[in-house]
Amino acid sequence: MGNTVTKNIRVFFSKTGRAIYISHLDLYRLFQRAIKRAKLPIWETEGFNPHVYITFALPLALGTAGICESLDTKLTEDISTEELIKRFNDALPRDIRVTAAAEQVRKPTDIALSEYEAEFDCDDEAFDAFLASEHILAEKKTKRGIAELDLKQHLDVLERRKGYLRFTFPSGSVFNINAGLLFDAFEKLSGTEIYSLHITRTKIKCSDGEIFR
Amino acid sequence: MMYKDKLDRILLKVQKPSRYIGGELNSIEKDPEKVKMRFAFCFPDTYDIGMSHLGMKILYSLINEVPEYWCERVFMPLPDMEEQMRANDILLYGLESLEPIKNADIIGFTLQYELSFSNILAMLDLAGLPVYAKDRKDLTPIVCAGGPCCCNAEPIADFVDICILGEGEEVNIELMRLLEQCKAEGASKHEFLVRASKIEGIYVPSLYDVQYNEDSTIKSITPLDGAPAKVKKRIIPDFDKVYYPATFVVPFSEIVHDRAVVEVLRGCIRGCRFCQAGYFYRPFREKSVDTIYKETVSVCETTGYDEVSLTSLSTSDHSEIERMLACLADYSDAARVNLSLPSMRIDRFSEELLNRIKSVRKSGLTFAPEAGTQRLRDVINKNITEENIMNGCRIAFEGGYTAVKLYFMLGLPTETMEDIEGIAELCQRIIDLYYSLDNRPKGKGIKISVSLSTFIPKPFTPFQFEPQPTEDVIKERQKHLMEVINVKKVQVSRSHFDVTHLEAALARGDRRLSAVIYSAWKKGCKLDGWTEYYQYDKWMEAFRECGIDPSFYVNRKREYDEILPWDHMDLLITKDFFIRENKRAHESQTTPNCRERCSGCGVSACTGRPCF
Repeated sequence: MGNTVTKNIRVFFSKTGRAIYISHLDLYRLFQRAIKRAKLPIWETEGFNPHVYITFALPLALGTAGICESLDTKLTEDISTEELIKRFNDALPRDIRVTAAAEQVRKPTDIALSEYEAEFDCDDEAFDAFLASEHILAEKKTKRGIAELDLKQHLDVLERRKGYLRFTFPSGSVFNINAGLLFDAFEKLSGTEIYSLHITRTKIKCSDGEIFR
Repeated sequence: MMYKDKLDRILLKVQKPSRYIGGELNSIEKDPEKVKMRFAFCFPDTYDIGMSHLGMKILYSLINEVPEYWCERVFMPLPDMEEQMRANDILLYGLESLEPIKNADIIGFTLQYELSFSNILAMLDLAGLPVYAKDRKDLTPIVCAGGPCCCNAEPIADFVDICILGEGEEVNIELMRLLEQCKAEGASKHEFLVRASKIEGIYVPSLYDVQYNEDSTIKSITPLDGAPAKVKKRIIPDFDKVYYPATFVVPFSEIVHDRAVVEVLRGCIRGCRFCQAGYFYRPFREKSVDTIYKETVSVCETTGYDEVSLTSLSTSDHSEIERMLACLADYSDAARVNLSLPSMRIDRFSEELLNRIKSVRKSGLTFAPEAGTQRLRDVINKNITEENIMNGCRIAFEGGYTAVKLYFMLGLPTETMEDIEGIAELCQRIIDLYYSLDNRPKGKGIKISVSLSTFIPKPFTPFQFEPQPTEDVIKERQKHLMEVINVKKVQVSRSHFDVTHLEAALARGDRRLSAVIYSAWKKGCKLDGWTEYYQYDKWMEAFRECGIDPSFYVNRKREYDEILPWDHMDLLITKDFFIRENKRAHESQTTPNCRERCSGCGVSACTGRPCF
């Protein structure tokens, strides 16, 4: 197997169930090992300490599930999509599943928004009031420390029913809001508790509204 | 998965949550409806440490090979997680099922070090179970313990129902079969324990009555209900055929030893007189190169690890070490896997071995002379000469190394200040050697790290009779060493007296220490192996409250005819041998290694065949 790139590809995967607690750094190592187990023809970086080349388009916050996550990599041999997906899935833990692999259409820097679905159990009236408030102030950890942020300005509610919310938040390398912040803010501002909460990232969109693919 | 939802609520509030949720590659989930027996395998320390432990990987896979048995992993949560669990009514659970372990049939602890004893109580309590064995009246769960500390499990005798002495590969399943049968018959816990005590390797502490003399030494140990007078250690006779897992659970987060591990041999031929493992794991048995190769390939291929470590007490003592390394190198080069070789003896260190290690990582090399003078090295039977040490260092320096780490022990029997000064002199001679070499690494200085631990006399060693020096003596010698080693090129790290002291008390303790452990745990002692959680003052308070003086266990010399708390354990090595070896130590007489000449420890008489 030579180490010459024949094709750039984008591998889509889901990260659900128990796997939502895998940190971004650990996820990187997990995929490296999976590629080694699966003996996939993935290009290796050249240098003192060669390693398989993979890069994630958009990190997913710890504790949030995702069904449209993706990583970019380079192949050194032609391999059918079906074979690639199968070999990945045979080598991955159960709660991480590769769903598709295709050409890289958009650049990761085009990413602007993430759409989330949240299912939760709390005082729904209080939650409606919370969503209706003029400002939703939250603290966001940044490299420079903690910054205060008005989530309301960035929140776009797409669908709301009892115990359910579908919404978007900005995403991308420039400005990104962790979906969990909304629910932390609710608990803090309302003084009530959320008993169970499951957030899933369901779509990643570019600034022109197109789905990232 | 009854705790999944609850865990989803708390896991983002704790550090490194992925270690509390399971679901890792190769972890085994079974349908609870279809399994007959459940085994909760508890490592009484955190995930990061426990997941690095080979014994757990072996027994986990072994039990799960039985379709109707399910073994799960359980670890000690750190305080942030424990707080969340208690606040949310989450009992200690297995990582596979996310169900409370109190419903398991067997809760098994592996005891690798004495400082994990308090964690057993902490984990039983977190599991919602009474910590005292006598307060757990039902047949299940049976709480058992295994691992090297079981050669003297007396300090935890009040808490566990059963101890497993020796290698668990066969006896674990035998024990589960018996418990399965007893469950079906509706037997009582006592009936089960009496029947279990008949299995070789099973020790039931509650079936022994211990009486004491006026001077607090043991007067008698009497077996009850037909329990054997001596509990015989279990060993696997055909080590080449012993069960080895085809794969390991691969953690999501980084753990202490995050790599594939292959056990190349068990036991040790060396007979260092301070080393419990060297006697506990006798007889010496090795795997064939073929088996080692197959196991290496299997574990590497199924885990995706890029490093494999060959493990044993002394890997360089494998009779076919060169062929083994050549064979493995072929695989590791092709598969781009690093081969790491810990536990190499300095007298077996060659340029060839160095090149093998070097291809992995050029960090420091570690050697263990253990003592600073030849006289003291002879006392402890290290069987390493100064020439060996100098030769090893020369090979390392010429091979491009500039840093060596040296392990020494302080407080060894017969030690004098001269031996302490010997450590400094040895370091100086190594520095001189470095600068005398024309082909040393250019433009680089040498760095020596001296790691100075304190000798802890352990059961089932020739030094089991020896006192540990008192606090004053230890601190004075440590101070003296710091004074005589005053060159910047040598960096010394010392063990803390506080920790050593407790470990020494627990190591040779009797069952009266159960009360001390209970009291210390009640005062909040746990995770004693962690500097940030260790509370020495609380432990000493517990000793005082129980009216027990730790120096009775730590600083007292035992006569050869004293009944020792572990005398009813049979490690297949005779007490006479240990007495003989102790006498030889005091005469500075060495004993050749087992391969050179059999020293008659008793193992071969038990196995019925010579070890070599």
